[in-house]
Amino acid sequence: MRPSTILLSFLSFIILLNALLCLVNYKQLGTLKQNLPAQQLLTNTYGLSDLALSTEARYTRHPSLSDPMAPYMDHPGSIEHFPSGSFVLPTIGGSRKDHE
Amino acid sequence: MTIKIPQIELSEVHKFYNQGQDNEVHALKEINLQVAEGEIVCLRGPSGSGKTTLLCLMGCVFGPSSGRAAVGGQQLQRMPDEYLTRYRRETIGFIFQHFNILPELSVEQNIVLPLLPLGISPKERQQRAEPLMERFGIEHRKLFKASQISGGELQRVAIARALINNPPIILADEPTAHLDSSRSNELMDHLVTLRRDGKTIVLTSHDPLVTEHPEVTRVIDIQDGRISCGGSICS
Amino acid sequence: MNKSIQQQLNILDYGLHSLWQKKGRNFCVFLIFSGVIFLLASFQFMSASLTRTAELLLVTVPDITVQQLSAGRQVPLSAKSLGKLDTVFGISSIRPRIWGYYFDESNGANYTVIGSSAPATDDLLDSLLIAGSYPQAGEQGAVVLGSAVLDNLGLGDRKSFSLFRPDLTQVALHRVGVFQQSINLLTADLMLMSLEDARDLFAMGHDEFTDLLVQVANPTEIPTIASKIADAIPGSRVVTAEQIRKTYEAVFSFRSGFGAACLLASLAAFVILAFDKGLGFSREDQQEVGILKMLGWQTGDIMRLRFYESLATAACAFGLGISLAWAHILFFDGGLFRSVFLGWSVLRPTFDIVPYIQGRDILLLFAFSALPYLAATIIPAWRASIVRADSVV
Repeated sequence: MRPSTILLSFLSFIILLNALLCLVNYKQLGTLKQNLPAQQLLTNTYGLSDLALSTEARYTRHPSLSDPMAPYMDHPGSIEHFPSGSFVLPTIGGSRKDHE
Repeated sequence: MTIKIPQIELSEVHKFYNQGQDNEVHALKEINLQVAEGEIVCLRGPSGSGKTTLLCLMGCVFGPSSGRAAVGGQQLQRMPDEYLTRYRRETIGFIFQHFNILPELSVEQNIVLPLLPLGISPKERQQRAEPLMERFGIEHRKLFKASQISGGELQRVAIARALINNPPIILADEPTAHLDSSRSNELMDHLVTLRRDGKTIVLTSHDPLVTEHPEVTRVIDIQDGRISCGGSICS
Repeated sequence: MNKSIQQQLNILDYGLHSLWQKKGRNFCVFLIFSGVIFLLASFQFMSASLTRTAELLLVTVPDITVQQLSAGRQVPLSAKSLGKLDTVFGISSIRPRIWGYYFDESNGANYTVIGSSAPATDDLLDSLLIAGSYPQAGEQGAVVLGSAVLDNLGLGDRKSFSLFRPDLTQVALHRVGVFQQSINLLTADLMLMSLEDARDLFAMGHDEFTDLLVQVANPTEIPTIASKIADAIPGSRVVTAEQIRKTYEAVFSFRSGFGAACLLASLAAFVILAFDKGLGFSREDQQEVGILKMLGWQTGDIMRLRFYESLATAACAFGLGISLAWAHILFFDGGLFRSVFLGWSVLRPTFDIVPYIQGRDILLLFAFSALPYLAATIIPAWRASIVRADSVV
């Protein structure tokens, strides 16, 4: 067989594989969206503002609602929670300036 | 001897390397040379005399710096590189000093190398290569890597590769330089059969076995970039 | 077949054959390249999925959340502050809430405690529980637990348990429901109880709470009302839903340091490797090019040959890397990155991440991986192609 035929078959296989993944993904997305209205209602009712990913510190568990100083005062020995802290941009609005 | 149509015709040809720079080399000077169809011409001269440059010029590797050069009826001067290359692959078959067979490719792959950029399909390549391999007795080696076959087979692969495009002109650069006398004789026999097929053959050599071979029609001596003897067909 | 397509295929064949000749080295490059793309793509897919999941789930957060700051720290609000909002026109509802953390001494985990007076008698909400119900009005000590909390407390089938007040006296609680595992991304570490129980647990004053959840009748009025609230309660921190959503656009993006730093560094190393590989242009390579040119290959053919070699490597590595990354997120929920995202958390919830891949993610990845590789091999390809034909005679 020609090497180019092998290459093109491999690439076609990859494309096919991705199409398959896409299909599975689409199905999973369907199940996620299934109880979405209920989850959205829960979010609203209890004011759940963040995803429960890293529970180690206030500003990594609730990045959107922690006060701006939180990253630096959670623990006397650690000013930064690495690595999860590196993913989290700790301060957002809430200051008066933001509403003007 | 009857005068034949010149396949290669050079008149007043000069060739410079690095023209206009400090390291300019005047490699060929005032070359006047004709080679007729069906000849076996041998270029002889010490190393550095310009015989390889002359061979390359006849092989359409580059055009002349000045003067007129016609190969197979086509004027080479001022021809762009791309056209030279295109013309070369239809007109010229090369046999190199060390045969320059790529060792990692199979015998058959080596032979069909000139066909790849022509857009020839694998099937057609095989159809063209098979009779050549048969003719030179290397068919049983076609799937062998070039590094696995003997020296004699290697030279037959080189000849087969030179013939794959069925070019009218075969050029060989010191083809016998690293061969023993029996191999050299074998090679010359092959070249002689090609000549009988109507090919024009030009080779460089200072091997007496070649220069004194009865089938070699002319020996042209080159010194310091000039032809000292044997330039015209009738001489 | 068309001659020019056949010509390209022939050159591609030849290039693949040369790659195969040095299969050890090229396979290593291919594996490293696939690995880099796998990491890059996993990170991008995971963060994109989390960002978009957050966007989906958090679209309904209360319009405005009000907190009280004092000396730069968050402190409780009192009922007095609640009264001050009577004068702000346009608010449709205000719900006080207690939001805090309970540190479990026995295993070092943090739980999120939400105390709310919200009436929860809704079928839709009930569907999120494995069994049971939400704390009813007047029901004392009733708690709904997140599934990770249930595991961490080691309750098993027991309903009753107790937590410690700050003065180390015990609060008796019993679970009335458990959140489904499928919504762990929202509720894994949650303890949901009534406002009174939360106050009791944290020993807060009877009219104190940590924040106010404000709904606004007209969404376009939110910024105006937010600034009015900020005026009415001095020292307050007012966060709008829009700002919460914006957090998630930024949180997991490439801008957030760590991932970008690690991945770009590995990519840079790889590009250097690719460049180096291309520059390592041996005498044999040079001779090969000379022979090919002598046999009638054009300069363009040689460039195309080298370009096809890197294109084939890049395309295969990119395809494989992307597929593996996709499968990694889809079937293993990003197992490799999970620990990075979880950090030092003691409580490690299991959650399903559904990839939410868009064309622009793929394009971004291509621009960050395959493109630099191709660019890095172009100069070596050009260098190879300008070898003179007569260099071999």
